Amino acid sequence: MILGAPAFLWALASVPLILLLHLLRLRRRTHPVSSVLLWRRSGPALSSSRPLRRIERTLLLLLQVLAACALGLGLARPEVVATSLGGGGLVLVLDGSFSMRARDVAPTRFDRARAEAEALLRRVRPGQQVAVVVAAPRPELLTPLTSDLGRARAALRGASPWDAPGDVAGAVALARSLAPAGRVRVAVWTDAAHGRLPALPGVAYHAVGRSDDNVGITAFRVFRDPAREEAFLRVQNFGSLSRTVPVVVRLGTTPIARATLQLGPGQARSLTVPLGGGGRLRAELQVEDAVPEDNVAETLAGPAPTPSVLLVGPADPDLLRLLRALPAGRVAATSRADPALWGGVDVVVLNRVAPPALPPGNYLVLGAVPGGLPVDADGALPQSAPAAWDPTDPLLRFVDLRGIHVTGGLRLEVSGGRTVVDAGSPLVWVYEGRGVRVVLFAFSLDRTDLPRRVAFPVLLTNVLLFLGGSPPEGVVGEGLQLPSGGASRAVLTTPDGSRVPVRAEGGVLVLPPFRRAGIYRLEDGGRTREIAVTRPPGDAGLIRPGRLPAPLGDGAERALLRARVSLWPWLLGVAAAAALGEWALATRRRGGDT
Amino acid sequence: MALRPEVPSAAAEDDAGLFDPAFLQSLETLALASRRRVQGVHRGERRSIARGRGVEFADYRPYEPGDDYRYIDWHIASRLDRLVVKMFTEEEDLQVHLLVDASASMLVGTPPKLALARRLAAAIGYIALVNLDRVTVSAVTSAPGPSLGALRGRRRAVDLFQFLAGVRGGGATDLGGALRRLLWTARRGSLLVLFSDLLDPHGYERALREALYHRCSVFLVHILAEEEIAPPLSGDVRLVDVETGESVEITADPDTLRLYAEAVEEFTQGVERFCARCGIDYLRTLSSVPAEVLVTRYLRQGGLLE
Repeated sequence: MILGAPAFLWALASVPLILLLHLLRLRRRTHPVSSVLLWRRSGPALSSSRPLRRIERTLLLLLQVLAACALGLGLARPEVVATSLGGGGLVLVLDGSFSMRARDVAPTRFDRARAEAEALLRRVRPGQQVAVVVAAPRPELLTPLTSDLGRARAALRGASPWDAPGDVAGAVALARSLAPAGRVRVAVWTDAAHGRLPALPGVAYHAVGRSDDNVGITAFRVFRDPAREEAFLRVQNFGSLSRTVPVVVRLGTTPIARATLQLGPGQARSLTVPLGGGGRLRAELQVEDAVPEDNVAETLAGPAPTPSVLLVGPADPDLLRLLRALPAGRVAATSRADPALWGGVDVVVLNRVAPPALPPGNYLVLGAVPGGLPVDADGALPQSAPAAWDPTDPLLRFVDLRGIHVTGGLRLEVSGGRTVVDAGSPLVWVYEGRGVRVVLFAFSLDRTDLPRRVAFPVLLTNVLLFLGGSPPEGVVGEGLQLPSGGASRAVLTTPDGSRVPVRAEGGVLVLPPFRRAGIYRLEDGGRTREIAVTRPPGDAGLIRPGRLPAPLGDGAERALLRARVSLWPWLLGVAAAAALGEWALATRRRGGDT
Repeated sequence: MALRPEVPSAAAEDDAGLFDPAFLQSLETLALASRRRVQGVHRGERRSIARGRGVEFADYRPYEPGDDYRYIDWHIASRLDRLVVKMFTEEEDLQVHLLVDASASMLVGTPPKLALARRLAAAIGYIALVNLDRVTVSAVTSAPGPSLGALRGRRRAVDLFQFLAGVRGGGATDLGGALRRLLWTARRGSLLVLFSDLLDPHGYERALREALYHRCSVFLVHILAEEEIAPPLSGDVRLVDVETGESVEITADPDTLRLYAEAVEEFTQGVERFCARCGIDYLRTLSSVPAEVLVTRYLRQGGLLE
């Protein structure tokens, strides 16, 4: 049984009060008799003179106690899970979206969903198989179909929501795939806040949540360039009412910016805050809403670090000299293309070197196409000149490419990433993903006059800042691969203080998908790195419950939908009927017709 | 001030007719049984304690001056040369007094006790009238109540029924006063039939003893209601006496009801013992028992009818 307002159970304290009132003789009915002669002889005055009397099984008392109990229980808004689960397997799917953290139902939507799932689990027949799935950004199978109900119950209790929208449809598909069609029933608890869900046979949806009141931080990042560093903050009102939102940005514990934002329904506002130092940067929205978690965001601020650089490939004295002149840490060169040596370096410059695959890291590739990237070389590039580029791109900041000539190179066929400079074929192409960050020049430096132009050192500085000038960042729901730097293992400390061991494989530390936003700390050997993890941009803070699809099939879904039955209307009806009956009976008795 | 709750009205009863004709016809085969020889005023159908002009031979006695010559047994005189007079049992009528308790307590019960009392009085009175007995009927109340006397013969049955139908209940019980007023005019040896619940605050014993002192045959029909035997009470109740307005507060728990049942049992046993000791015929009944059943079965067994 689930109580919507358990505080009203205090109303049951009226039951002993009623009994006490019956014990105390407060009222006597008048009853005519032919003579009091025999009553006086029987000595009843003894019992009537007692200050207290025994509780008798009178209909009036029963009706009063019944009315009080029904009223107290009814006000507590009890709901029970009453289903006919049928045979076959049962998969419990909990929506693990960020919106399930909303507190519009006590204690949270996710906790309510878990309680209902546990109630349903208690009705499972012995021997029936149960599985538990959480609709995380990537659906999680917590337990496969098992007859061990204790294991399923433990999995439910250990489940928690993520700080990102969950893939409910994917979780339902995963649940249905656990057994042949028709042999499994799926019960889903969701708020459907992130799009419509499919109506499928054997799938019953249970709605959780009722409010859309949420204001949240949707982006909080630090942008760095050689000239300045600033924080970018975006706040959105996901609710249907206008809100006034005070904002405070702190660097460490020192407030560095304050603002008050007026946000209409669905409206978003952005702030930029100039930064003058390093440390943890924290933004806070001083509002009360259903999801306090996204009223706070943290990231890391600090000057751009000077990356260490390793030049791999044929020696290029001009390039090496320039790299040593730029704001880089340690610069080394080697002609040996051994990826095992690249783990401890921030930026690897591959000069006409094309390894079959790139381990996670940051790469500047000149005149070659490494394997494992969404780009292929499709012949040779004829003589050309940059035809189109975006001067606002951070890589091309203060870079003037007019008059540059390229006498030869590779014609690139790209299927991802972004083209920064184009000449009919990409000349400069950028890719981020799979643990690597790559800036690829389709030409080598000996096939262009770029090194003799003033734009070259500026471009190379921008490239080094892009590749190695910012600490690693993560997004909730996604993992992260980082160069291990020779370490074989590391420990990842999450924002809530728990420590997760991480093993290095092939010179790469593969971090599991992040569940919560915040600052993580990665310790490998003697080095400590901080990782700012943010919620994915978009509508993660949207908590307005959506419409659930109507059930399909032979009625089994309807049975599951009936799983949560509200008892309070019946209880209040019983209370009213009992009170009415008690009144009628008391009135009739008062007339002397017992 | 004590409350006087409403009680059922006797007018609510069915006064259209006390009995149906078939039942009245069956009553004609019955007669009142008197354990004593009666001494009436008119010649009737009962053996009188007076020896005289009856047809049933009783005895001989020596002739005395003044005796009627017609009763001298001349056969004995011729054989014994002595004058002997034959004596016969005189047949006289029986005086029947019907006393109906019409106090307020008789209105209690379902049906009311007074209803049964009126029907029983009507039945017994009708039997008496059919047998040429003289009937007097009186309503027993605290004040001198209505009465109808010296009814004789079947034709007066209508008067009897109309009188009983007009008896309305109310007031307190005063058995002693009512019997005293009756006995001032009653002859010795009368049959007195009392219909009452005997719930008289002054007691019933003295009144009945006075009737016996006047050499009356007393037949007591003690009528109680189901509600008085097993009262349907629960919880805290203020009991109000419908006659006196006095009240008693009780808690009708099982202990109290048990004590009351014991008191009722003691009361009825006391009445029964008193009647047995004084030679009073006694019949106890509930108001719910049909009068026809009582007349045709229990009153014959009780010795009132033959």
